[in-house]
This record gives sequence, structure tokens and C-alpha cells, in this order.
Amino acid sequence: MRPARRGLVDGQTALVAALLALLLAVLVLPPLYLLLQGAVTDAAGALTTRNFATALGGRLFLDSLVNTVLFAAGSAALALVVGTVTAWIVERTNTPLKGLAYLTTVISLGTPYVLYVGAWLLLLGKAGPINQLWREWTGGFDPLINVYSLPGMILVEGLLWSPLVFLLIGASLRSFNPELEEAARMSGAGLWRTIRRITLGLSLPAMLALAMLVFIRAFEAFEVPALVGMPGRVYVLTTDIYQTMRSMPPDFGSASAFSVIMLAIVLVLLLFYGRLSRHAERFATVTGKGFRAKRLDIGWLRWPAAAILLVNFLVLLAVPIAMLVWASLLPFYQPLSRRALGLLTIANYRTVFAAEFLPLALNTVLVGLAAASAVILLTLFASWLSVRRAPGGWLAERLAMAPLVFPGIVLGVAVMQIFLRVPIPIYGTLWILIWAFIISYLPYGMRYSASGMLQIHRELEEVAAISGASPLTRLRRIVAPLLGPSLLAGWLFIFLLAARALSLPILLAGPRSQTMAVAMYDLWSNGQGTELAALGLLWTGLMTLIAVIFYMLTRRSAAGAAHN
Amino acid sequence: MRQDRTHWHAMLLTLLLAGFAGPARAADPALVAAAQKEGQVVWYTTQIINQLVRPMIAGFEKRYPGIKIDAVRANATDTAIKLLNEGKAGRAQADIFDGTSTVVPLKQAGLVMRYVPDSAKALPASYVDKEGYWAATNLYVNTPGYNTSLVPKGSEPRTLADLLDPKWRGHMAWGSTESSSAGPGFIGTLLADQGEDKAMAYLKRLAGQKLVNINLSAREILDQVISGEYPVALQIFNHHAVISAKKGAPVDWIPLEPATGVLSVVSVTKDAPHPNAAKLLMDFLIGKEGQAIYRDTDYLPADPAVPPTVPKLIPEIGKFRARFFTPEETAAGMPHWMKIFQELFR
Repeated sequence: MRPARRGLVDGQTALVAALLALLLAVLVLPPLYLLLQGAVTDAAGALTTRNFATALGGRLFLDSLVNTVLFAAGSAALALVVGTVTAWIVERTNTPLKGLAYLTTVISLGTPYVLYVGAWLLLLGKAGPINQLWREWTGGFDPLINVYSLPGMILVEGLLWSPLVFLLIGASLRSFNPELEEAARMSGAGLWRTIRRITLGLSLPAMLALAMLVFIRAFEAFEVPALVGMPGRVYVLTTDIYQTMRSMPPDFGSASAFSVIMLAIVLVLLLFYGRLSRHAERFATVTGKGFRAKRLDIGWLRWPAAAILLVNFLVLLAVPIAMLVWASLLPFYQPLSRRALGLLTIANYRTVFAAEFLPLALNTVLVGLAAASAVILLTLFASWLSVRRAPGGWLAERLAMAPLVFPGIVLGVAVMQIFLRVPIPIYGTLWILIWAFIISYLPYGMRYSASGMLQIHRELEEVAAISGASPLTRLRRIVAPLLGPSLLAGWLFIFLLAARALSLPILLAGPRSQTMAVAMYDLWSNGQGTELAALGLLWTGLMTLIAVIFYMLTRRSAAGAAHN
Repeated sequence: MRQDRTHWHAMLLTLLLAGFAGPARAADPALVAAAQKEGQVVWYTTQIINQLVRPMIAGFEKRYPGIKIDAVRANATDTAIKLLNEGKAGRAQADIFDGTSTVVPLKQAGLVMRYVPDSAKALPASYVDKEGYWAATNLYVNTPGYNTSLVPKGSEPRTLADLLDPKWRGHMAWGSTESSSAGPGFIGTLLADQGEDKAMAYLKRLAGQKLVNINLSAREILDQVISGEYPVALQIFNHHAVISAKKGAPVDWIPLEPATGVLSVVSVTKDAPHPNAAKLLMDFLIGKEGQAIYRDTDYLPADPAVPPTVPKLIPEIGKFRARFFTPEETAAGMPHWMKIFQELFR
């Protein structure tokens, strides 16, 4: 094993590693430096501990911290359960209605969170159909369900993240050698035992990694804490930072101190995660041996499984969309009633087409294209170096994963400060958005390419190396094609993520570089909610189209990769 | 000095051209020509897009063809932060901005141009900055509003004491932003009206009513009242309730005393990339044509010669007591009001 490992590393690799590490360092380190510096200095630039005292001394800091942990853990658990169950049913069994799960995922990935959260609030909020019926029944103002609470936040955030889990777990389940499951069945193991010991056992590293990812992202989430939590006075760390940043003049010091505290917590989580995935090689399932992906026959259980897919589709897609369609046809939002039926109008659609939304759409698509392409390229190299344990690979991985510590809002401020200081005139242009998005989405690119990379056994590359292929040739001819499905899925995901992101662009978008999500947030906070619904539906339609095209590409290349 | 000369030229030219320009007072043609050469103006606004900004843009672009307005809407604090940052970097993006008190810190940071157009002469003295950095476009009056389907007319809370009725516990919303049209503005008004001790005693009791803090504009909070999320909201803009009720929404405002009165003021940025177009837009907003658009969109125009469509929205005419704050007074009081808000209502 030792000589072969050394054989995979040479001068070319070292050069690639050095360049990559430099590039990643230029992207990732300045915002980190600014936050650390901001946390320990006052406005005049003198060293101080006052920022930490302000951040930690607030009487509600502990409350916020506890809320944040509960919120993140609850959301991660819910997302993992919903996403994994759906992914397993879809990828590994012969259940009908699989199309619904793809449809749900693809559309939900194209939907800006502002719109999604808004739709669920219409459904579950005090004016939603459920509480409306209850109020009519009781005659009082008190709602049956209070969505503006910690459980409400967990429900919405968990559901929001479940399509991501579905997509990522699905990718690893798809490239899973069914011989292992078949062997277990042939050795007399029942269905549940096979799932538990083989499927879950082999997916465990991927699932733990994902749980950590969702936990961290929920830890840093902003939309749900702001739209669902704050009205119910449930504060988490990000909303605390936000409040600090929103006071006049903005308190960059305390916000930085908060961010540094979050950074420390996330760092601990990441170290823990690194320990977990150290022996990942044991789980490599794409080897030099050919296999045909075959699905498990689960017999009559197909029908309850199909019912799960149907409920998932209704909750994640059909009902929110229905709520939005209803809202988009009203001049101002009203619950369903005969009186409201008399108000129906297509005025919102007319406004959306008349107003200057086309440049916004173009901006958004451009930013998404550029950010996704750059991230995938960078992380392909980074994950290859890291998984193959090349020198510098560890550094590249750490650097690429580091942006996980940035809440979008804080990264927005940090990137803004950078370009206000350095004489590169991209402030207020699309370039600053692209720059920030690349930093923010590096960890996603890493998850996609590294989790795919972990499944490609090194023996394939070792054979190529023995045949005289250089490292870059091996990357191009062996690794990249095999990774194709993962990379495309990652690209698609990052594109859609960038297209709907809010907390990052909201502070960076200039007057002529606004993105769709920022415009939607403006509509929402300006009380143009029904216009938002109309615009949101049209935009989601467009994004869905893009998502479907790329999804089909992904599927085809996945099939292609299995045949070759 | 140069500004004074331009100003003098403008007056002379206005006099000369008055005969040709028709009834509307014409802006300095040199300014118009320079503005048209710039071709665009970036307006950072806190006004509501679909109610006011769109009609205003349409009116301006029709009046001055060839000048395009890029309007960017954000709340006051976000706008101020953006302007501060752009100023710090020496990369101003905005030409003109409005708000109720954000001009004050920006003025202190040296980011505001000392400019008030001629059209501001029609305004009362208190509606124009004595130092010459801002002038008012319109008045805001913040009062409670309520959903008339959920709360039958006559049973709405009409006094401060009514707000303490247990039946409203947990059912009143207000904004949590650092703004006069949010919780802190309500607190500041009460402090000014009743004195520190009496106001604090009342606010402590009000805190027991578990008000719902919403981190959105007062316009959106009123929309949530209309949709039935909350029966009552405090510190909404009273003219917004009128605008929505006209469209058929089940909503009305309450002349609860003391109401809050503030000015929406407009300023040109110091390093505006399109300074002439900015001056021209400021002139238009304050001038008769702009004021007529404020009136026609059911806002409260600053120019006393342009009465609002619903006069009783104005405290003096509607006969309800209000406390007025200049931008400077709001900016000075806000840290204290915000502190009380955080302590009692967070």
C-alpha cells in the first residue's frame, strides 16, 4: 500500500496543490481575518475585549445559544429522517410514484426560501386555513397552532432541508453496489435486517456527514429565524447578530464577536466530523468491478412507501404552491372566503411583467452560473487532493470547508468590508456577489465532489498510474468522468442555491446588481406579498425548468457512467 | 460660492422662462440639460414601491424624458448602512436618498450634499433643514390600525388604557426595527408626551400584553393585520390603512393619542455620481408636480398648498393629539427608545 500511495503524488500534484491552496486562501482567509480583527478591536482600531463582553454579557445570550442548538439539532434530525426515507424509497426500491419525489425536490430547490417560508406561513400562520377554521369554531383570536415558535421553526427548517438530504443521500445510494444487499438477502437476512446492516451501515458516513452539514447550516440559518422565529420572540445567534448589525451605527465589533463565538462552535463540530470520516476508505463502493444498479423488491410495502412519497409531495410542494397561487390572484392577502373570491384579479401578474424584473432574472442567472462553475472546478481539485491524501490536500480541504462557519449575513458584511478597503473596484457590481457566493458554497462543492470521490476506489487510479498517466491526466480521464454525476448534481445544486440565496446578497447587491431573491425580500418587506407570490411562481417555474434539464442530464450521465 | 451663482442663474432663468413654461414652475434648464446628459439617477428609498415609487418614477420620466430612475427600496437602517459603507470607500452609488432620520448620521459623516431646491420655498420653515441638508417631501402619521372583520368597528382599542385590556394580550403586533414606525417610535412618542416616569410606568404594563415583534416594515405588518394574522397593530402609517381600505381591504386606522408625526425627508448624496439628475429629482419630488403625485397616491404632501385627499389623516385636521419629531430629534432619541424597547419588549 505505501509505495503505491507515494506513486500517486509527484511534482505536478504538488504544484496543483500549491496553486489551489493559494487561491483558496485568498478567497477564504480575508473574511476570517476581518471578523477576528473586528472582534478584538474597537472603532478606533485599538485592542479591546469589550465586543465579547457586549456579546456574551447580553442577558439573553444563553437563551439564544440553547435555542440555536435545539433548532439546528431538531432541523437536522427532521431533514435527515424525511430525506433519507424518501431517498431510500426512491433509489433502492421498486416503489411507484418516484417521479413525485424528483419533482418535489427539483422544484423546492429552485424556490427561494423567502417564498417557501412565506407559503408555509400562509398555511400554518394565524390567518392560515387551519387556524382560521379553529377561530371560527371557537370565536376567539387564539390560534390552534402557533407556528411562530421553536417547534414551528424546526418544522419549517427541517422540511426546507429535506430535499438536500434526499439529493445527497440519493447520489450515494445510486452508486451503491446492490450485490452487497443481494448477498445479505441470499444469506437469509430479512428486509429490515438488510436495510439496517447493509444499506444504513454503508450509508452511515455519508449520513453523519450530511447531518453535520444540515446542523451547521441550520445553526447559521437566517430566513426561518427571521421570518418565523423573531415574530414569536424566539431568538437564535444569527438573529442576534442581525439585530446587532441593524442598529445604527452598525456594531461590527459585537457582530464579529458573535461570529467568532459561532466560528469556534462550528470548528469543534468540524473536528468531530473529521474524526468520523477518517476511515471513509472502508466504505468505498465504486470499485474496478462492474455492477448494474438493481432495485430491491419490497413487495406490498410498495404501497405505504408510495403513500409516504405522496404526503411528501403534498406537504413540500402541492399545498405551498396552491397557497401561493391563491395569494398571487389577490390584491392583498385574504383567507379563502366568498368575499375574497370577489377580489380575484390578475393585476399582480400584469405588474410583474410590466416592472423591470428581466434584468433581475439575468443578474441572478449570471451570478449562479459563474459561482457554480468556479466552485465545482475548485472543489474537484481540492477533494481529489484531500481524498487521495496528497500533500496540501488537508490544507485545501480545511480551507474549502472553512466557509461553513460564515452565516450568510456575516460573510456579506465581511466581503463588503474587504472590497471597501482594497482598491479593486467591484463594489456594487455582480462580481462582488460572485466572489461572495464562491466562498459561501465551497463547502457544498466539497461535499458533492468528496462524497463521490470517497466512493471511487484508488485502485482505478493506481492502474492508470502504473500505465504511465500523469496525475492531471488521471484526474481528467478517470476521476472527473466517474465523478460526472456528482459534479453535475453539485453544480446544479449550487446554481439553484445561489439563485435563491438572500442573506448573502442582501447587503452586497448594488442598485443595478440585485438578484431575484433580494427583490423578493424587498417585495415581502414592503408589503407587496401578493406581487411576491406572482413573481415567485413565475421565477420558480423558470428555475424548475433549468433544474429539470440539469437533472435529466445528471440522470443520463449517471446511467452512462454505470455502463462504461 | 459656485452653488450660489448657479442658484442665482437659476432664479434669473426661471423668471425669463416663466412665460414659456406654462403653469408648472420650470426647473433650471441648465440643470435639466446637465441631468439629461447624465441620463440616470439612483434613488435609495424607504417609500413603498407599488404605492408611491412607481407612480413617481412614471411622472418624473414623463416630465424629463431621457432620465431613468433606478429606485432601490430598503428600510431606513439598511439604507443608512449602505450609504455609510459606500461613503467610507469613496464609491458612492446613490445619488439621492430619503428617510425619516437617517440623514442625521449621514450628515455627521459628511456624506450629504448641502442642497435644497427652489421648490422647497413653498414648504413651512420647519420642513426644511436649517443647515440646508434636507427638505421634506411628505408627512407620516403613525397610529394603530386594525382588521375590521376580526374587530367590529366600535370595539377597537381607542385609548392607551384600552391597549391594556386583557382581550388584546398577545394579539397586537408592531415593528421591531430601529424606526419611528415601530415599537421604539411608540415608546419615544409616549416619553415625549407623558414624561419619563409616567410613560415608563405605562410601558411596563404594556409589556405584560405580550406584543408581537415583527422585523418588517409597517406596511407589511399592516398587511398581516389585513390577512388576519393579528387583529391590531401599533405604529402603522395611517394613510396606508386608507390606501388598502380603498382597494377593499378590511382595515381601518385609529386616532389613538398620542400619535407620532415625522417627516419623510430627501437629500442628495455628497459624491453623487449623477448630481444634476439628483438635484432635479429632489426638485421634482418637492415641487408641485411631485407633491400632486403624493396627493394622488393618498400620501400626505409636505406642501400646505397641496391638501391630502383624506385631510383627517393629519392630526390638526383630524383633531387628535400627536407629537412631532424632526429628523434630528428622532436620531437623538432613538438609542434611548431602542434600549427601552430591548429591555421591556424583546
